[in-house]
Amino acid sequence: MLRSAFPLVSHLPSHKPPPIRPRPPPVRPYASSAVSPPPPPPASAYVHLPFCRKRCHYCDFPIVALGTSASSLPPQSTHGGDVDDPRIADYVRLLLREVAATRPVSDDGVPLETVFFGGGTPSLVPPRLVAAVLDALRARFGLSASPEVSIEMDPGTFDAAKLRELVGLGINRVSLGVQAFQEDLLRACGRAHGLQEVHDAVGIVTACEGLQNWSMDLISSLPNQTEEMWEESLRCTVDARPTHVSVYDLQIEQGTKFGQLYTPGVYPLPSETDSANFYKIASKRLSEAGYNHYEISSYCKTGYECKHNVTYWQNRSFYAFGLGSASYINGIRFSRPRRMKEYAEWVQKLENGTWSHESGNSGIKDMAMDVVMLSLRTAWGLDVQSFSKTFGRSLTESLCNTFRPFVESGLVVAMDMERRALQPSDFELYLQHDGENGSRVAFIRLSDPDVDY
Amino acid sequence: MAGAAAFRRSTRRVFRPGAYALSRALQHPERLLSSQASPDRGGVLGSELGLYPPERIRNFSIIAHVDHGKSTLADRLLELTGTIKKGHGQPQYLDKLQVERERGITVKAQTATMFYRHANNQLPASDQPDAPSYLLNLIDTPGHVDFSYEVSRSLAACQGALLVVDAAQGVQAQTIANFYLAFESNLSIIPIINKIDQPTADPDNVRAQLKRLFDIDPSEALLTSAKTGQGLSQVLPAVIERIPSPPGKCDSPVRMLLLDSYYDEYRGVICHVAVVDGALHKGDKIASAATGRTYEVLDVGIMHPELTPTGVLYTGQVGYVISGMRSTKEARIGDTLHQAKSTVEPLPGFKPARHMVFSGLYPADGSDFDALSHAIEKLTCNDASVSVTKETSTALGMGFRCGFLGLLHMDVFHQRLEQEHGAQVISTIPTVPYIFEYGDGSKVQVENPAALASNPGKRIAACWEPTVIATIIIPSEYVGPVIMLCSERRGEQQEYTFIDAQRALLKYRLPLREIIVDFYNELKSITSGYATFDYEDSEYQQSDLVKMDILLNGQPVDAMATIVHNQKAQRVGRELVEKLKKFIERQMFEITIQAAVGSKVIARETLSAMRKNVLAKCYGGDITRKKKLLEKQKEGKKRMKRVGSVDIPQEAFHELLKVSNSK
Repeated sequence: MLRSAFPLVSHLPSHKPPPIRPRPPPVRPYASSAVSPPPPPPASAYVHLPFCRKRCHYCDFPIVALGTSASSLPPQSTHGGDVDDPRIADYVRLLLREVAATRPVSDDGVPLETVFFGGGTPSLVPPRLVAAVLDALRARFGLSASPEVSIEMDPGTFDAAKLRELVGLGINRVSLGVQAFQEDLLRACGRAHGLQEVHDAVGIVTACEGLQNWSMDLISSLPNQTEEMWEESLRCTVDARPTHVSVYDLQIEQGTKFGQLYTPGVYPLPSETDSANFYKIASKRLSEAGYNHYEISSYCKTGYECKHNVTYWQNRSFYAFGLGSASYINGIRFSRPRRMKEYAEWVQKLENGTWSHESGNSGIKDMAMDVVMLSLRTAWGLDVQSFSKTFGRSLTESLCNTFRPFVESGLVVAMDMERRALQPSDFELYLQHDGENGSRVAFIRLSDPDVDY
Repeated sequence: MAGAAAFRRSTRRVFRPGAYALSRALQHPERLLSSQASPDRGGVLGSELGLYPPERIRNFSIIAHVDHGKSTLADRLLELTGTIKKGHGQPQYLDKLQVERERGITVKAQTATMFYRHANNQLPASDQPDAPSYLLNLIDTPGHVDFSYEVSRSLAACQGALLVVDAAQGVQAQTIANFYLAFESNLSIIPIINKIDQPTADPDNVRAQLKRLFDIDPSEALLTSAKTGQGLSQVLPAVIERIPSPPGKCDSPVRMLLLDSYYDEYRGVICHVAVVDGALHKGDKIASAATGRTYEVLDVGIMHPELTPTGVLYTGQVGYVISGMRSTKEARIGDTLHQAKSTVEPLPGFKPARHMVFSGLYPADGSDFDALSHAIEKLTCNDASVSVTKETSTALGMGFRCGFLGLLHMDVFHQRLEQEHGAQVISTIPTVPYIFEYGDGSKVQVENPAALASNPGKRIAACWEPTVIATIIIPSEYVGPVIMLCSERRGEQQEYTFIDAQRALLKYRLPLREIIVDFYNELKSITSGYATFDYEDSEYQQSDLVKMDILLNGQPVDAMATIVHNQKAQRVGRELVEKLKKFIERQMFEITIQAAVGSKVIARETLSAMRKNVLAKCYGGDITRKKKLLEKQKEGKKRMKRVGSVDIPQEAFHELLKVSNSK
């Protein structure tokens, strides 16, 4: 059983250098916002490509189901000359308009370091249209010399040629939505592909020249999923040798088919204990296979962290484009309309200059909460010093006080500048002396799931 | 009650007509009233009240088993006398509290003054313009035994009572208890067999029951249907003819009984009083026998049915007084108010409240202590029968130990705290006052199990627990299961009789502890709801009692400690622990839940640690969902009490209350 609220998870011994180097304080200092420098401008962009062949049974995201016609994969569809699905083409036009109407945050042109095409099933979008979006981003914001450009792809929606074409556009990271290695589970999820297509897709991706960095997505706690099945999926994943693995736990959302059929923790869904066990198994197996558990649901071979996702965990700003997508710019989180018609109207307003962010920053506590919540997802943990600089001593103290019982029970690990774990008594001393004497607490992270104490 | 009865006997019928120099013309005061039905008149002149000497006054109450039609009958009488308009106002006019309306019970005494013309012959008063008018005070009393303290106060101001019995259900447990209360108060009793319109009505059988149980002459019973109005016209004539007028000395300095009081935002403390001797005028200076404080009468009047100023109240009359009291604390229910600067004998004999059920009350949110304190203070102002002392629990923080008259009383107090004062309350397992005697001869009364040392270091020589005599009336086919239930609850049979061909009456001595939690529910469920149950306090009995601690991760939770019979400890322990396992949410670590007697663990459960789902995919950096999840958990936390490192939801405390003694 998990021992941790956020059962995070670094299998790196704490003396080793962490996989993610912290950046300067990720949020805008609030105390003297008038004089302090604005937060670093976004160097990341998320692009939502919402098309899917059909909606998966667990999904409540803004997608557009194209119908099964799109599932057949006429090889020529990946090549020029074909008529694009007008729904896709229209949407991409809208997307291009949004990109063009979005003002870069900085005038001196901070180029994009990461671009992430998410969905939906972005691999359903003809590469030509993906190229158009990339071009638009390049034109508007600039791309750095070696950006990370990721795309989500589903088995059964691409062939070697299409992938080659995408790689040719500058896409250098693929996130393959496999989810499970059992035919029955794939069907039960309402996935538009079967197991054979999974194997085919893995074959295509691994064989693709010029593509070294790819990730595999898995979902745990599916209905009727057994521990044996989960072990099998992890084994197959390790055998496929992706550079990155994302393991998500199934979340039952209202309004989805699963939401109607199932209750979390109740058969045929695994019990909470079983779900937690799946998580521990994943952490164990992937660690054994040489993956670093660098974020609560992310594992990678050294050096293959998803740079784009890391911006999220570090609470750095990012652009977002497309239906229902969420951006974080100048300290403001904004989610675009989830319905196509409203999104189109919104783009129109953006172009007319008649739309602006609802004024005002989120509250300071809210921002602090984001930082704590996001950084505790990572193996690196919370940078206490930078938190204190941004949010002040008193909030930091009350935060540390909150952690006190958990440091004592071992659920939370406090570390010094050299990332050496502090004894609970040292932490206590730190708290009592306002951090002025004794060892200084530099980082706070959650302990690993497998450790017994 | 004995005292009140003695008071009544000693002062009975001392009315001196000479004190009222009334001319013949004034023998017909109704002529001064615009009509018999006079609800719309702006007020009642003091001079009109003066026309009602005690012999023209009747003070009575209505007593009944719950749902036998007491409140409806009261409504009809108020309508019949034009005090309220038919079809206007809400039903159960006198039950003003939300809790009363919801539960169909009366908790607080209310009074209403009615005027009614009646001639001492068989002709209807309407045919006799000269028929004299009477002033009738209906003093509504709670029916449940828990409120016998309130009943005793109210009955002390009455000379008679209408004993209402459902024509189909017949005499029920509360009927018996109420009858004896009235009987011991020396009241004239008018039996009313009500709801005779029901198809299953069997008034003859009820008459026979009344004869068998109370020795009431069958010819005395009135047959009514408060619903159809049948027989109602006989009720008030019977009140006038059978109930004596209030005793009292008209020419003595004023002396009155404080029946009840409540606080009005605009007018201050309003006291319901019964004037026993003398007359009370606006502007009089009065004093409280209990506190010695003096007040000026700012307003005085009758409840007709709402506050109706008259400027005066005469001997035997019942009404209200506003005297600039700042807090209802000054208005002690049962107190004697009298003419200032004169020494009077305080009115005798109120049964002091005896607290039989104790429970700790804590703010659901620890920071709301002041709010809870204020709410309790306000409520106890209107309910003097609750005892309140501050206590501190390591688990729940600062709170109060409250003593109640019984379970219903406790329930009602809770409900009123929440409904009328918006307080959010966690209460601990109710307990009864035990007495523990140690080897060195010292004795302690334990009202809070937590206060009893788990390992006292000295030998316990003996323990005593309070018992009750329970009266249970059931259809005879349920006798078997009920006897079983009572013996499971350590009951001792006292009586087993049949009150008629179908119904049995059982009397048991039961430890109070055994009935305070779920006895009544259990009784109802095994008898398909047919059983009626009532009880009266009885003496203490020696018992083999132990304190049982509940430990979470090895730490005793003081607020969950309880005292149980040794033989039941294991069973109760197991049940408590299972219940807790169900209601304590899994947390970030494993929790062991144990029940222990002394150092011996008698039941144990383990709650495995929890997972919080932060593993769901974070689509496109949209962290709002994850935040929502955290917010939800934070909301949940607010309803939690942290004990050591364990968060306990409020429900867990509530659920513990329901753990039975026997199952």
